[in-house]
Amino acid sequence: MERRSFLQAFFFSATALVVASLPYAVARLLAPAYASKYPNHLRPPGALPDDEAFVEACIGCGLCGEICPVKCIQFDIRQGGNELYTPFIDPVVKACILCDKCMEVCPTEALTKTERQDIKMGLAQIDRMTCYPWVDRGVCGACVTICPLGEKAIKFDFANIYRPTIVDRGCVGCGLCVEVCPHPSLPIAIVEPEHGSIMSHRVY
Amino acid sequence: MAETIKPFALWYHLNKIRWLVLLSVFLMLILLPFIHVYQTFVASFSYDLLEPGEKSLYDLMEMLTSPFTSDPANDLDSIKGTTWSGNFFGFQISDPLSVLGQIASGLTLYWPFIITALIPVVASLVFGRFFCGWICPATLLYELNTTLSLWLHRFGFKSGNRKFDRRLKYLVLAVGLALSAASGSVLISVIYPPAIIGRELYFGIALGGFGAGLVFFVITLLFDLLVARRGFCRYVCPGGALYSLLGRFRLFRIKRIVENCNDCAKCNAVCEFGLDPLHDDFGQECNNCAACIAVCPTDAMTFVIATQDVEFQGAGHLGKQYQRASNAGE
Repeated sequence: MERRSFLQAFFFSATALVVASLPYAVARLLAPAYASKYPNHLRPPGALPDDEAFVEACIGCGLCGEICPVKCIQFDIRQGGNELYTPFIDPVVKACILCDKCMEVCPTEALTKTERQDIKMGLAQIDRMTCYPWVDRGVCGACVTICPLGEKAIKFDFANIYRPTIVDRGCVGCGLCVEVCPHPSLPIAIVEPEHGSIMSHRVY
Repeated sequence: MAETIKPFALWYHLNKIRWLVLLSVFLMLILLPFIHVYQTFVASFSYDLLEPGEKSLYDLMEMLTSPFTSDPANDLDSIKGTTWSGNFFGFQISDPLSVLGQIASGLTLYWPFIITALIPVVASLVFGRFFCGWICPATLLYELNTTLSLWLHRFGFKSGNRKFDRRLKYLVLAVGLALSAASGSVLISVIYPPAIIGRELYFGIALGGFGAGLVFFVITLLFDLLVARRGFCRYVCPGGALYSLLGRFRLFRIKRIVENCNDCAKCNAVCEFGLDPLHDDFGQECNNCAACIAVCPTDAMTFVIATQDVEFQGAGHLGKQYQRASNAGE
């Protein structure tokens, strides 16, 4: 191919690719505003800690979602951008039960086999201004009862009433406590520890 | 007259077998999401809580799978995935394009993933671009789309039949990989129809809604219908480009038997990839779909084992051009 025709074909194919990606861009514009910056996007267990590395490694095959027995893994399917077709878990809708199947099935290094106590999806935090036992509005321990790691991750403190307290080291951030929390405003949430406390996460 | 060479009898029926394979792969992609939904029902012991429609789905899936397994929640995990990347009784098989795209996006080599593409790569080295003709779930829809355009032709609809440069898709492959590297995500998969089909079927059935990829796929169908017949596969598809490169020196190729050929050019008309079998010009882009073998009225197409196409063998011996020339020579 001569240089002139090569350049022509090059620009033609680049234009074709840009045109081809237009549906994704349009879908992203039409998506509701909250969907573009949703607070509860946890990566599945065993994900690479660096999210950019995770997006680079993930090929978007959907195997992790297809094998999940509780169907908690969802995908960014209408938002466009780099994270298109990458998996996430929204614990408010459905939380991970730490069954390890997604880590076993993932063909890439995006999800690698990790021991249960070494998983780090986030860290649960309790809003002590809202949680029923913490504001003396009744007895509740749903989060403590459901926690798959038990005493290592969340336990009761006693001060006049039994109140749930997170153990920072033990919590893996699976989000089951968020799913079962009976309070309508969900005083428990999974946060990224380096991004501050639950109070700053509530500002969205 | 010398004894005429006949192709092996099975070759005539390969096109039918191919349609069966395409159809079963496509139906598998539809069945697997339903099986996943069924597995989630089983795992949560929720039969009594299901809605009537979900109950009938549960019963149907139980009927289909109960002969093979007594523990559906775990045993049915052995077949999962799509043609983009799948898990088949413990074997992980991935599309070579997904491996290339991941290498490009991360600029790292992760060997456990790279070897999952070994089986498709070796098969492509032997059978050429067979994935495009025999397995790709988008091929089924694209070929039905071609059939639809021929059908519409009867009612006076002119479908587009423009020609572009077939080398364009290699450029799309290169540019797509470069963009994947630049953006740091496997961007090439959003313009690769088999990956789109597999994903969107799963999203539509199990996750309750199709994604943006379906819009793109419908646009490619319209492009094929209105601009160029089978245009996306011929001119744009990056995976087709990769498989063509792998299949350049394939062992299995179709060859024209010049003694049987009568120059009717039906093979050129039926070829989905716009190749030129009549003039022995198959090249690296033939997908061994065997449609030309099935359509040939004089049994002039057959499979041979060779690493190169033969040179142009001249006009067919049953054709007018050859007979006129030989009569003049006598």
